[in-house]
Amino acid sequence: MPEPSATLTEVSEEKASTTAPAHKEVRTGRSPGQVAWARLKQDKVAIVCSVIILFFILVALFAPLLTSLQSVDPITGTKASVSDVHTELVDFNGLPKVGTSSAHWLGVEPRLGRDLFARWAYGARPSLIIGFVAAAASTLIGVTLGLVAGYLGGIADKIISWVIDFFLSLPILLLVLAIVPIMQKSLAAGGDLTAAQVSQIRFWVLIVILFVFGWMGLARLVRGEVKSLREREFVQAARAIGVPTRAILFREILPNLVGPIIVSASIAVPAYITYEATLSYLGAGLVEPTASWGRTIADAQNLFATYPLWLWPSVIGLSLLVLALSLLGDSIRDAFDPTSRR
Amino acid sequence: MLTYILRRVALALSVILATLVSAFLLFFAGPSDPAQAMCPETRCNAQRLEAITKSLGLDKPLTAQFLDYFKGLFAGRDFLYAGDTVHCSAPCLGFSFVTRRSVNEELFTRFPNTVVLALMAAVVFVTLGVTLGIFAATRRGTPTDRAVVGASQVLGSIPYYVLALLVALYPVILWGVLPQYSSLSSGVGPYFIGMLAPALILGLVTSASYVRYTRNSMIETLSMDYIRTARSKGISERTVLFKHGFRAAMSPIATILGLDIAALLVGTLITEQIFGVDGIGRRGLAALRSQDLPVIMGTVLIGAVVVVIMNLLVDIAYSFIDPRVRLS
Repeated sequence: MPEPSATLTEVSEEKASTTAPAHKEVRTGRSPGQVAWARLKQDKVAIVCSVIILFFILVALFAPLLTSLQSVDPITGTKASVSDVHTELVDFNGLPKVGTSSAHWLGVEPRLGRDLFARWAYGARPSLIIGFVAAAASTLIGVTLGLVAGYLGGIADKIISWVIDFFLSLPILLLVLAIVPIMQKSLAAGGDLTAAQVSQIRFWVLIVILFVFGWMGLARLVRGEVKSLREREFVQAARAIGVPTRAILFREILPNLVGPIIVSASIAVPAYITYEATLSYLGAGLVEPTASWGRTIADAQNLFATYPLWLWPSVIGLSLLVLALSLLGDSIRDAFDPTSRR
Repeated sequence: MLTYILRRVALALSVILATLVSAFLLFFAGPSDPAQAMCPETRCNAQRLEAITKSLGLDKPLTAQFLDYFKGLFAGRDFLYAGDTVHCSAPCLGFSFVTRRSVNEELFTRFPNTVVLALMAAVVFVTLGVTLGIFAATRRGTPTDRAVVGASQVLGSIPYYVLALLVALYPVILWGVLPQYSSLSSGVGPYFIGMLAPALILGLVTSASYVRYTRNSMIETLSMDYIRTARSKGISERTVLFKHGFRAAMSPIATILGLDIAALLVGTLITEQIFGVDGIGRRGLAALRSQDLPVIMGTVLIGAVVVVIMNLLVDIAYSFIDPRVRLS
């Protein structure tokens, strides 16, 4: 965040509130966010990435519709759906008897005979939901704790900083792998649950665990920024004229942090999607019957040579989505960084 | 200076202690049931379950279990095992529920494999990252620069485990271009050659961020006045780049390197699992599957200790380089 321009924005905002908006000048009226937005619109990489992300969001939204576009299977006599098991479509070795056809655009899954295109399209859903929900939640926690620690200082700061240090030194991947089944057990204890219900519990457990272990970086960043901002003249002045703390935090300090927060959130989304897929691969992620790319990759790796059609769509989907989100995050960071001239 | 170091050491110790307590509560007080997991499914009855629980020491109250564990860590403890007393000396992590071997032995014999993998990867990513970073920085703004930065961005953005998995599946298993991992007992040569594939892919992916660090650091250094002075004195470009520029540009990289190696020592889990390297991370994963609590505890503790100590060393080293941090 450019320090001088941040002060300028403050000044210009205060001016804008006292003078009529009609007098806005072209050169002074732009906030750092608007500058970044203008730069982002010029960035070809960002535009291509946004199109790819939009494509996957549409696939996830319209997965049922896309699946129903496939024609009726001549063997089963029904249209393919995401969860229907059709063992009549696989031979006694578990290998599919049918290839790609108008009924199964990507063929069917070995062993269970489920439609691979449907699994692929529905598989975009958990990735996107987990990525965005966990990123939103961890951003909220990180900003709140960072604000509290940086603004209050003293004992609150000491405690929060210690917790950040503590979380950062944990071997997180191993711990998460251990906690997922433990948390699921304590939530799903008692009562017979169907596989779908267990899968649903696991889904929410994953989101919670991802953001509980993912807020530290942003909290540390916000804390540092707030610590330096609260000593600056405009904050001192606001305090001196008796602006309530709440207003100082949300009206004076937070607007200066919009850049770093947006950047951190946009980088967090692909990170969480990757994390979820990695956990699914290592056996602590999503479970059947939820369709998930990470889960499919883990299952398909055993037959990668004989049946690559099982493995590759998920590999490409996951890689392309995460790649597009990461590169968009990089572009957003560059757009907010006045020193970068690519 | 001394108070700063003492404060950092106290902080580090408190973090390790908190990890110990919370990991213990999580695993031993949590709903995991190792006795159930060990009880043979077809012939499991209440009596047998109770015997197993007792033999694992899980029937004692939780505080007693924790005190035993804590005492074992610092003073060693005695185990009653099949009628004999087995002594387990100072940093005692207990005995594996499943293999019945000492956790220290289980983990410390595997730790060298993880260290070798992490260091080989470090060699790859430091040489590759720094070389390409300098290469790109000296050609700033040219298509070459953009290609290097773009390639490193793309490489660093694809999910790591997918890349590693594809390398393990295609060149290693299917095409046989790269050799598979073999343990040290099959010879030093095959061992190191087998480490090549995992170390290369781990190093290659990690190098992506080093390309960017080095490039940025180098560009910043090269825009300094003293570099312009050196150039204007007629010193050859090579000397300016390496003697004046490179040295100054490397100090922030060295700090990141310390933290990254610590992260690798606990974070090669995915690589180990995919390539079958018999390291500490893979052992931890196997322990998770069989609910082998002492081994899980041991892995988590070793991981936390490594990260905390490396953090501490980097912080202290950095406070020597940059005295301002001591004041904060």
